[in-house]
Amino acid sequence: MNIGGRIKTIFSLIGHFLSPSKWVLIPMLIILLFAGILLWLTNGLSYIAPFVYSLF
Amino acid sequence: MAIVLGISAYYHDSAAALVIDGNIIAAISQERISRIKNDSTIPIEAAKSVLSFARIKPEDVDLVVFYENPFNKLERVLVNLLRTFPRSYRQFPRAISSQIGSKIWVKDTLSERLKIKREKVSFTTHHKSHAASAFFCSPFRESAVLVVDGVGEEDTTSIWYGNGQNLKFIQSIPFPHSIGLLYAGLTAYLGFEVNNGEYKVMGLSAYGSAKYLDEFSKIINIENDESFTLNLKYFSYFTDTETGFGPALEKLLGPKRNKNKPWNLNSEEDKRYADIAATLQQVTEDILKRLANRALKITGSENLCMAGGVALNVVANGKIAMQIGKNHLFIQPAAGDAGGALGSAIIGSIELGDKRPTPLKNCALGLPIETDKVKKMATDLGLSTKLLSDPAQTISEKIEANEIVCFLHGRFEWGPRSLGQRSILANPKLEETKDELNLNIKKRENFRPFAPVILGDHMDKHFEGQPDLMTPFMSTVHHVKKNKVEQLKAVTHIDRTSRVQSVDENNSKLLNNILHCVNKKTGLPIVLNTSLNGPNEPIVASAQDALLFFMRHPVETMIVEDQMISKKGL
Repeated sequence: MNIGGRIKTIFSLIGHFLSPSKWVLIPMLIILLFAGILLWLTNGLSYIAPFVYSLF
Repeated sequence: MAIVLGISAYYHDSAAALVIDGNIIAAISQERISRIKNDSTIPIEAAKSVLSFARIKPEDVDLVVFYENPFNKLERVLVNLLRTFPRSYRQFPRAISSQIGSKIWVKDTLSERLKIKREKVSFTTHHKSHAASAFFCSPFRESAVLVVDGVGEEDTTSIWYGNGQNLKFIQSIPFPHSIGLLYAGLTAYLGFEVNNGEYKVMGLSAYGSAKYLDEFSKIINIENDESFTLNLKYFSYFTDTETGFGPALEKLLGPKRNKNKPWNLNSEEDKRYADIAATLQQVTEDILKRLANRALKITGSENLCMAGGVALNVVANGKIAMQIGKNHLFIQPAAGDAGGALGSAIIGSIELGDKRPTPLKNCALGLPIETDKVKKMATDLGLSTKLLSDPAQTISEKIEANEIVCFLHGRFEWGPRSLGQRSILANPKLEETKDELNLNIKKRENFRPFAPVILGDHMDKHFEGQPDLMTPFMSTVHHVKKNKVEQLKAVTHIDRTSRVQSVDENNSKLLNNILHCVNKKTGLPIVLNTSLNGPNEPIVASAQDALLFFMRHPVETMIVEDQMISKKGL
């Protein structure tokens, strides 16, 4: 895994949400990132449901 | 002069496409390689296959374009989770897992697994990929472009204007108002699998009447500007990933259909579901015709290109073509998400200064069949093999004798249709052939129709229409002439429509020869052509897939290029 590349992705993601109109989403994004890291470390959920694309 | 790889992935039908110096070199859906129907995983194998076909090393690729922007998508997901909280709280962990687990890292994943520098990987947007795949593959110099699907990053419907090398965004309808998701929700209600059963609903609709228009007027509102909104109380796809529709829909239309129950269209219960399917189809067609009109009016063009999963609705395509003129409508054959890979590759290629591709003439963009490998494997399995001096002649003899023949030729198809590269061919005259195929080979619902392939210059003698821009790709339907229905029972649907494929020497030489031979023998330049796959399987791609299919199904003859394989002696 290219750690440098992954860090660039995190910075790009933060950059995407830094626009003032998107600040309201930042707390949720932080929770999402934190939970995501936990899920990644614990091998998380893998079930894919039929309407998964409409929601996320 | 650039080598560009386009990738679509993570939702359904992932794919890879390769464009070199503005020419479409190869395009492959991941499902054909992985053998997992509608495979949505990142298409590394498909990407490696297109590169290896073109003998391109990963380090020689100038640009990889992913077909959508995962950050924009994440933003829509977050906004939607907030908007629908607390109903969405149960989906929160899954959303986290899905987004953070894979989707936002797509640039890194592609770079690491394909061994291509991260700086060479970029994003475009979902609907732009679709629009590009339609317009830049079309024969039009300028055209309106209509994209209709479930949802991209945030748009569900968008209108574009293409002119030469340029594609300009005009306007869109955002999530959650979506024709694709309306159709998908009703597909689930009718007991079919979402993302794989929508075409079954379309086939079923011909058996019903649009008796539920009043009920549907509560579900969907047509606005004065020809756009639409859904009444969201009937749907749940923005809070629930399982069903797509809510309890209110069952209160309005009655209980959902049990998906495990076999279909009996003579029963009152299933007639009701057919009527609901017919109403859904009519409403969908009505909205698409309005959107098509709107796209033409806004752009001032007389041409229209369409893409997005909803553009796979061939019945609706036929109605739109009737409205705007058959040679003014082009549908990119892989109109669903797989097509986004092709669109994104073309976008990247044009951005790097290459010309747009020449118009798409046929769909043989996959890997070639390895005839020697098939022959060796067949011999190892104890099957008999024979070198044919004239495969077209042999196939026509078998068709005349009402045999069902598996036929493999050249590179496999791009998109969901078998167009003569990986096909099952049969005599179109007998209804029994349709039943045999539905029950014993394809093992699918008995109401499902089969499609014919015909010599283009004979088309108007048997169908109400001439070859057009969609018939080479089976992207539309035509009515069978009334006096020909008796001769074409196996390929005529209950409403007398047929998803006809037209062939000429330019788009498929061997299939063209086969049809000429069949015409001499039977007086009909037509053959039933259905996909070479079993139930819930992707269409056959390789030699191994072909043999596996052949051994597992009651078909006696398989012709691979000039090799005939039969089960004699087994």
